[in-house]
Amino acid sequence: MERRKMGVRGGVYALGALVFLGCAITAAAGSAESQEKHFTVTGKPVVTLNNIVNGRIEVKSWKNSEVVVNSTAVPGKVSIEAEQVGDRIEITATSLDEAASAQPHEVEANFQLIVPEETELQLRTQTGLILVEQVSGDMKLQSVAGDVHLKEVSGYVIVKTASGSLVCTGCTGKLDFNSISGSAQILQSSPTSLNLMTTTGNILYDGEFRRMGLYTMNSGRGLVEVRFSRGDSFDLKASTYRGTVDNQAPEVLQPDTHTRHHSVSSMAKSLWVTMGQGSARVEVSSYSGAIRIVMRNN
Amino acid sequence: MECKDVEAVLEQEGLSLLPVEAREHLSDCETCRDLLADLSAIAVAAKRIPSEENPPERVWVSLRTQLEAEGVIREPQVIVGPKAAPWWSGLAQLLRPRALAMVSAGILVLAGGVYFANHSPKIGGSAVTTTQPATAARSVESAKTETPAVAQPNAETLSAENVAKKPAGRTVSAGVNKPSQIHESTTKLKPSPSELASFGESAAVLDQAERAVPNGVNNQAVEAALRENLRTLNEFIAECKARLKDNPGDQLTQEYLNMALQQKAELLSAMMDSGRSEH
Repeated sequence: MERRKMGVRGGVYALGALVFLGCAITAAAGSAESQEKHFTVTGKPVVTLNNIVNGRIEVKSWKNSEVVVNSTAVPGKVSIEAEQVGDRIEITATSLDEAASAQPHEVEANFQLIVPEETELQLRTQTGLILVEQVSGDMKLQSVAGDVHLKEVSGYVIVKTASGSLVCTGCTGKLDFNSISGSAQILQSSPTSLNLMTTTGNILYDGEFRRMGLYTMNSGRGLVEVRFSRGDSFDLKASTYRGTVDNQAPEVLQPDTHTRHHSVSSMAKSLWVTMGQGSARVEVSSYSGAIRIVMRNN
Repeated sequence: MECKDVEAVLEQEGLSLLPVEAREHLSDCETCRDLLADLSAIAVAAKRIPSEENPPERVWVSLRTQLEAEGVIREPQVIVGPKAAPWWSGLAQLLRPRALAMVSAGILVLAGGVYFANHSPKIGGSAVTTTQPATAARSVESAKTETPAVAQPNAETLSAENVAKKPAGRTVSAGVNKPSQIHESTTKLKPSPSELASFGESAAVLDQAERAVPNGVNNQAVEAALRENLRTLNEFIAECKARLKDNPGDQLTQEYLNMALQQKAELLSAMMDSGRSEH
C-alpha cells in the first residue's frame, strides 16, 4: 500500500517536472532577444528603417558620429537585417512566421536608435509608436495604426498614417501630416510651414505663427482648433461646408478686408479675419466638423 | 497570362474592366499588382487636373473678325474667268472685310447685351452682391440674426478706434467696417458633367483596385486597421458624392472628395504592399 502511494507520488512529481520543463522550453523559444549594432558615420547620415512587422521605433540623438541600433525581437519569428553604405544605413525587419495564427507579440520588432543630431530619417512601421526626439533633418515617418510623437525636431517632416495620431511638441521647420482617421496635435511649436490633413481625425494647433509662414489645416469630419496669442500676426480663413465656425476671440480678430474673398461661390460658411499685421497665412477648413478659433489667456 | 500580356491588356483596355485571366495573374504577381496600384494612383491624380473647355463660339467669331479686319486672313477668293467684272464689284471686294467686321461686331454687341440682360438679375440676387456693398451698410444686429450657428464678433470691433488700429501699409477697401462675420454663400452653380464624370471614373478605378486587393493578410491587427480605414473612406466618399449630386458646384466638397479619393488610392496601395510583404 505504502509502495503504491510512493509510486503515485513519484508519477505526479515526474509529470510536474515534465510540464515545468515544457513551459520553460516554450518560454525560452518565445522570449525576445536584443541585439545592438554600431555604425560609424562621417557626415550627416541617412537612416532608413523599414519595419514590416509590428513594433515600436524610438530615435534619440547624441553628439557622437555614430548610429546605434538596438533591436528586440523573437528569434525565428522576425528577421532583422542592417546594412551600411557610406553614411546611409538601412535596417529592415520582416516576418519569418507564415502562420496566420501568429500571436501579435511574436511578430514584433522594437527598435531604439541613437543617431547624430543632424540625421535624415525614413521610418516605417505598422502598429507601434514612432518616437523621435531632438533630431534635426528631413524625415519621412509612416505608420498604419501606430502613433507618431515628435519632440524638438526640425527639418522637413512628412508623417503619413492610416489611423495613427501625431503629437508634435517643440517642432520647427516644415511639417506635412496626412492621415485618414488619425488626429494631430501641434504643441509649443513654431513651424515655418504646416499642412495637416485628416479625414475623420481632430486637429489642434497650439503653436506660434512665423512671419511669412503658411499653415493649412483640413479635417473632413473632425474638430479643428487653432489657438493663438495676442502678439501673433496672421490672416486666417476658415471654411466649413456642414460644420460650424466658432470664433471665440472676435474682440481681437479684425475683419480681413485686404483681399477679395467673395469671388468664390460655394455653399460653405466662411470666416476671414486678421490678427496683427497678417504676416502669416492660416487656412482652416472642414467638411462637417467644427472649427474653433481660440485666443490663449497668457 | 504573363506580365507582358497584362501590360498589353492595361494599355489596350485601360483600368476599367480587366478580364478574368488578368485578374488571376494579378492575384499571383506582385509586380503587376504594383503596376496596377501605380496606374490607379496616376489615374486618380490625373482626374484632379481640370479639363479644358472649348471656348464659346463667339470667341472664334470675334477672333476671325479681328483677323480678317487686320488683313491677316481673308475670305476664300473665287477665281473668276477672263470676263471683266463690273467696276462696282471692285469696290464691293474692298469693303467686304470691313463690312463683315462691322456686322460681326454688331452681332457681338447685341449678343453681349442679351447675355448680360439675362444674367445680371441672377448675379444680383446671389450672395456676391449682398456680401460686398450690402454687408458694409448692414447693421451689426442684422448680421447677428443671419448667422445663428456661429459665435458673433463683438460690436467693439466695428468701432473707429479699432479700425484705426489697423496696421499701416495695407490696402484697405471702402468696406473697412465689415464685421468679421461668417459669410454663408447660397450661390448654386450649374452641374459640371465633366467634373462629375471624372469623380465617377476615379471612384470606379479605385473600386476596381479595391477588388484586386488580396485577402488574408497575416498581420491581423494591420489588416483590421486598414479595412476599418477603407470603410471610413468609402463612407466619406459616398457622403461627398451624395452632396455633390445635390450641389454639384460646391468647391469645398469637391476638394474633400479629391482628398478622400487620393487617400483611398494610397490606402489600397498600402494594402497591396501589406498583403505582398506578408505572403
